[in-house]
Amino acid sequence: MNSYPPELLVQLAPVMFVAGLDAQTPQSSTNAPATPSTQQPPRPDAFQLLSMRLRDALVSQRKVAIWQPEKSKTFQVVLVDKDVPFPPRKMLRPDDPQYSASHSPLSPLTPTSPLYPDGVIAPIWIRKHTTLVPSVFVMFTRIYESPPLQAGQTEREREVEEKRRDTELSAEIAQRKKSTNERGLKLTVVLMASRRMLDDPTLDGRLTYIRRQSGLDPRAALFVLSPVSPTEIGDFVRSLQDALWEPALEYYTNHSKRVRRKRNRHSQATSYQLPLSPMASAGIARPLRPEGWTVRYEYKMACFAEFRGEDQVALKHYQDAYSTLIIMFGSTAILPPRTKRWAEAKVLADCINVKIVKLYLYNNEHSLALSHQNSHMRKFADFSRGWGIGEETFEFWSWLARQHRVFAELLEQGTRSSLKIPTAYPTPTLSAAALAVQSLEASQIGLEAMRVLGLNPNQALQHPGFYYYMAARCTERRRERFLAVLETEVDGQQTNSPGFANERKVDHLAIVLELYTRAYELFKKWSPQNSQNPGRLTLWIAYRIAQTYYDSGKFDMAVRFFERIAKTYRRESWESLLHPLLSQWYACAQQLGDMELSVKLLIEMLAYGATASADDPDVLQDDLLAVLQSTVPSVTEEPLVVDLSESKSILDASVVFWDHEIDVGEQARFQILLSSQPNVSLSSIPFTQLAIHFSTQAPPLIIKHHQPDPDVDVPTVQRFDLGAVVVAPAPAEPAEIEAELQWGAGSTIVFTGSVSSALPMHISVSKLVFTIKVNSWWIEVPIVPETTRLENALVAPRWLCSVDPPRFIPIRREDHSSVRVRHRPHQVEVAISHEGPAYIGEEFPIEINITNQDDRELEVVLDVLLQPTEIDEAVNHVAMDDQRSTSLLKAVACGVLAPGVSVLKKLYLANTGAPGERVIDISVQSHSTAQPPTSPVSPTTPASATAPSLVDRSETLRTLAVPTVLPIEVEHAVTYRRPTKPQPGLADLMTFEGSQKDEAAAVEAVVTSIVSVVATSGLVVENVVLHRKNTEVAEVMDCSVDQDDFSGEWLAGDEFGDKCRISVIPNAEHPDASIPGPGEYEVTWRRLLRDGSHGSLSTTRFPLPQLLPPSDGLIALLDAPTTARLHVPISLRLTVRNRHPTRTATPTVQIEPDTMDAFVIAGLRHGRMPVLLPGQEDALTWNLIPVQCGLVRVPRVKVLDRRSAVQLAGASAGGGATESEQAEGDDVEVVDVRWDGRPQRVLDEEGAEVQIVKGHDAYVLVSSAWVDKGIGIVGPRKKSLQVMRA
Amino acid sequence: MPPQLRLNAVAFVSPQNHPILIRTFVQGPDELKYHYIAHTSLDVIDERSASEPPLTAAMSSKSTECYMNLLYTMEDVAVYGYMTPLKVKIIIALALTDAVVRDADVLTIFKALHTVYRQSVANPFLRLSAPIDGYNDNAALLAAGSPKWKAFRRRVDDIGKAVGAVAVTA
Repeated sequence: MNSYPPELLVQLAPVMFVAGLDAQTPQSSTNAPATPSTQQPPRPDAFQLLSMRLRDALVSQRKVAIWQPEKSKTFQVVLVDKDVPFPPRKMLRPDDPQYSASHSPLSPLTPTSPLYPDGVIAPIWIRKHTTLVPSVFVMFTRIYESPPLQAGQTEREREVEEKRRDTELSAEIAQRKKSTNERGLKLTVVLMASRRMLDDPTLDGRLTYIRRQSGLDPRAALFVLSPVSPTEIGDFVRSLQDALWEPALEYYTNHSKRVRRKRNRHSQATSYQLPLSPMASAGIARPLRPEGWTVRYEYKMACFAEFRGEDQVALKHYQDAYSTLIIMFGSTAILPPRTKRWAEAKVLADCINVKIVKLYLYNNEHSLALSHQNSHMRKFADFSRGWGIGEETFEFWSWLARQHRVFAELLEQGTRSSLKIPTAYPTPTLSAAALAVQSLEASQIGLEAMRVLGLNPNQALQHPGFYYYMAARCTERRRERFLAVLETEVDGQQTNSPGFANERKVDHLAIVLELYTRAYELFKKWSPQNSQNPGRLTLWIAYRIAQTYYDSGKFDMAVRFFERIAKTYRRESWESLLHPLLSQWYACAQQLGDMELSVKLLIEMLAYGATASADDPDVLQDDLLAVLQSTVPSVTEEPLVVDLSESKSILDASVVFWDHEIDVGEQARFQILLSSQPNVSLSSIPFTQLAIHFSTQAPPLIIKHHQPDPDVDVPTVQRFDLGAVVVAPAPAEPAEIEAELQWGAGSTIVFTGSVSSALPMHISVSKLVFTIKVNSWWIEVPIVPETTRLENALVAPRWLCSVDPPRFIPIRREDHSSVRVRHRPHQVEVAISHEGPAYIGEEFPIEINITNQDDRELEVVLDVLLQPTEIDEAVNHVAMDDQRSTSLLKAVACGVLAPGVSVLKKLYLANTGAPGERVIDISVQSHSTAQPPTSPVSPTTPASATAPSLVDRSETLRTLAVPTVLPIEVEHAVTYRRPTKPQPGLADLMTFEGSQKDEAAAVEAVVTSIVSVVATSGLVVENVVLHRKNTEVAEVMDCSVDQDDFSGEWLAGDEFGDKCRISVIPNAEHPDASIPGPGEYEVTWRRLLRDGSHGSLSTTRFPLPQLLPPSDGLIALLDAPTTARLHVPISLRLTVRNRHPTRTATPTVQIEPDTMDAFVIAGLRHGRMPVLLPGQEDALTWNLIPVQCGLVRVPRVKVLDRRSAVQLAGASAGGGATESEQAEGDDVEVVDVRWDGRPQRVLDEEGAEVQIVKGHDAYVLVSSAWVDKGIGIVGPRKKSLQVMRA
Repeated sequence: MPPQLRLNAVAFVSPQNHPILIRTFVQGPDELKYHYIAHTSLDVIDERSASEPPLTAAMSSKSTECYMNLLYTMEDVAVYGYMTPLKVKIIIALALTDAVVRDADVLTIFKALHTVYRQSVANPFLRLSAPIDGYNDNAALLAAGSPKWKAFRRRVDDIGKAVGAVAVTA
């Protein structure tokens, strides 16, 4: 921007001349007498202070700048003398008769003007309006203030003095007023007066007088100011400017009007122009063309509009001026190239362009601004070609660079204050509604539609860094062109153009550097704030800067930049960017003579294969060799370590172990593959040795280079055997092996070997260190074999299986790069045997046989865990030795087993509950008693790291599922019988004594138990006992087990039975509640083992079943003898028993003789029995004389309880009840006591429960008198069955 | 007249900012320039993806999210960016002309390039000799652009040709 006249670029603002605030001449002559006491110590005069503050306030409010979009009413203040003269309006004095025809001294028509005859406009014109001619003139002055009345001074004298002073002041103002009026300027006078003066009543009069006398305007022309505080001064300045703003605008408007008139006159006049040919006109003064006048007038109007702050108007006029200027440039006749006027016009065009762009940017029309800038550059680039300063010349690029730079500077200034750079992203972040509106508008306006759909990238404004960058690029090209010209000059052709001479003086690289640096700063500023990542754009610029430093020979600076840049490129593995960088860096290092750096860079370049091609793979190594041969390192005592961990390594290294786990002392085979890049040959790199470092304390394995036969080509794949390596205990001396350390392009060397350790540990290859020793160079290149290199990640590591032809096996394990060494697992054999299934109730023996098959002595410990089961009521436990637990037997010691020795442990499993599977985990832990080999572990190694792995322990696990079944099953059947013995009488005292047992209610239950053996192996029953547990309500009377002997061997399916009588008293209150059986069978048995021996004694218990005796109410028991002799009387006895707890009974008895009856009956036929109280019984007896032989039926007896008169038709159950009988009461059940048939719940074939009621007819076998007594008795026979559904 | 787009270069960059493939369609020594352009574009993409405004559900259609619009213009190229949902960045450099570039056109190119990329990465043979486990997918992406695999290049070149063909016939 500095290359253009600043007048043409700055933002214009109304100019205010301020006079009378001169600090150097504080006391004007007018008030000199007023302050005679000059001898006073220099105390700060209030007025001096005031004028100083005013000066500051006025001057500092506005800086001359190019970017000033704000529109506050502030003037550009110029401090002048009170009597400053204005430049003459015209060449001639106004009294000259030629005055009206004459022109301004700056007009092209004035021969003395710098523009004569055909200049368009000069910066001096702007300067005239910004520094020489104001729009308003403000004069500060002191009003005379009389000192306080002194002795001998009268009021009158004072007034006269004041009057005289005021008149003088008025004259001075009038003088000034005259000159300002000539120019149409507003003159404003500010009178400074003390605060006392303001209160003076005479002040008003004096002010009026002064104004009238001096001819000042009535409005806004006279101010009075007293010394005030700075803030109030600010207020004053503001109000002063507000008041003067209108007149200032008016002033510039008048100018505009005048210029417009002239322009119109000019264009109407169509004044003739001499049709001069450009050839002829050369050197001849030629008047300005009409286009030139148009430009001149438009430019002036634009400036005046800019003074007024009317940006839009100014923009319009600037554009008109610009377009006309373009027309002028279009014709070489109007503006012959490479003349002074042409150069001036070019500058003017550039400056107008800046103004236009600036005004667009004020209005936030970024794309318009940018498009104007672009079209300006394009148009003039086109013109330049015509002018012979096209793209091949340095002039062109210099100009283009200047355009970019000016634009960048404008943007930079703008962004510092108000300009916002728009962002193209995110494009349509509008609300849906806004989008709809926009699309609606878009449908109406085609242009808008285009805008919505996309944008012109050429018109997307970016931050100024980009334009600085462009300027720098252009300057670089300028330099190229210049250097090209310089070359031709060297060749002999002399170019003596003044432009070239100038160009020689230019330090191009300094300019480029400056531009790049500014671009760098701006990119840094605009990039997101991130301290650790400097941003890739800035890196790019930095690279350019480094290049420029390189070009300008500042290699140390360049190196610093390269170092920083390379970091990011390495990390993000942009090799394409890294290659040129490394080459240039290397070039720098060479120039600097930094040999270490050169070597480092060359090795890194070798690693990347930078600038190498497949055709010539030796370039880089030759360079390196040359460096190594010809130079000497600065330090020779210690190696130069080239750490390539951040970048690629010079050789691709991969380490593969065949096994991922080996035992202590075993050999773990491994291969180390070292491959070179396919396009880089390392064949002449003198690797002297390779050290393989394992991840242990062992010293590295050294492979010394062994010079091969030089005539033989390096084969693609070579293989060297390293032999067996022992890493622990670490050998004292590093092993050394010889091999050919030579790689051609894309060749591979495979080192094979095996590694072993006496201690359990993790072995991997931590690094490979190459050493190069040439002359005094000692270089070490460490390589860390990486498993996850990006390029190799897709290729599984390989295992060389054949050298010729080379063949590899992919190793697809993840942990291929390391091997774990562990103790040899102990050879412990655990055999478990048992004779399943286990029976519930027995202690089931399980044999655990542990044999030490190892060659070491082992200490064995056993753990047994009984898994919890979900089986009902299963309470199981395991026992071994003296331990017993329901879940875990911990650490049962089995002692130290010598090799080949075995130990037998018996585990007992005892089960209860339901059958099912029991699961047992058996863990045999063996622990080697041998001391671990004492390794020469240095005291520095942390013991904790290796200690746990040294413990030689292993564990053998077994899981055992034991099926468990019942050995014996039992089935019970229960029948109930009523007692026949007489009940104790009601009044019997025995009833109320001691025992609360209600003997009368007792029922006899007969339990038949069938015990079957289900144990598959068979049992030896030792004993079967019924343990009586008599209670008050149930009592075992006798049982057959007491007599029987069941002991002996019983096989599966064998059964035996027992009958047991129990006296039960039914629960009168809860007849449905069952009564627990009063005892349990205990079967003691032994398992019959396979070998015929017997197992341990086990006991199984079966409780007697629950008893549910029936309870009766009123019942009749019929008792008849089973046999009779013909004609011998027998007695039939009927006992009616009232078992009801509360009610009495009123039974009637009726015997129903039948004609077919075989008996003659003697006794009560039909009668009522006495009332029976609860618990009472009564009996009737009939005498029967059998008259027939055979099995005859006893006459039917019917008992009715008449207590209740309610007739329950059909409710009476019982086969004996006659349906035709008039039911006069409840039927009472008549039971034949000889076979006490009771309702029993049994299951029929379909599984439904039915009640079987047995018939009640009693029978008697009558034999003839001579029949011998020896004839057997035929028992009562089931006569009929009536089946009722439950 | 539809604006003529001239495709100068295409770059695919992995989510870890490693270059996958950079193809240039202009002859000359400028090839390195496009590498730089691709690399520097990552800055702008990073910035934009980091400061992505929370779009409303109605607005966030898939394609506009991926499309990063004009990243910057530099010298004679306009650089556009696109980020796939899996954070692979596609960057194209268009020759700078003084005409409106319609987003739809650029998006079409990007979608075509995205499809090409997907097809190429889906190549099962890329992972042919990969270890069973323990390799990262990023490597597969990078491998797709390596000189060993020609299909990706060919497809990208086809798109370059197609864009050029449109421009010629239009």
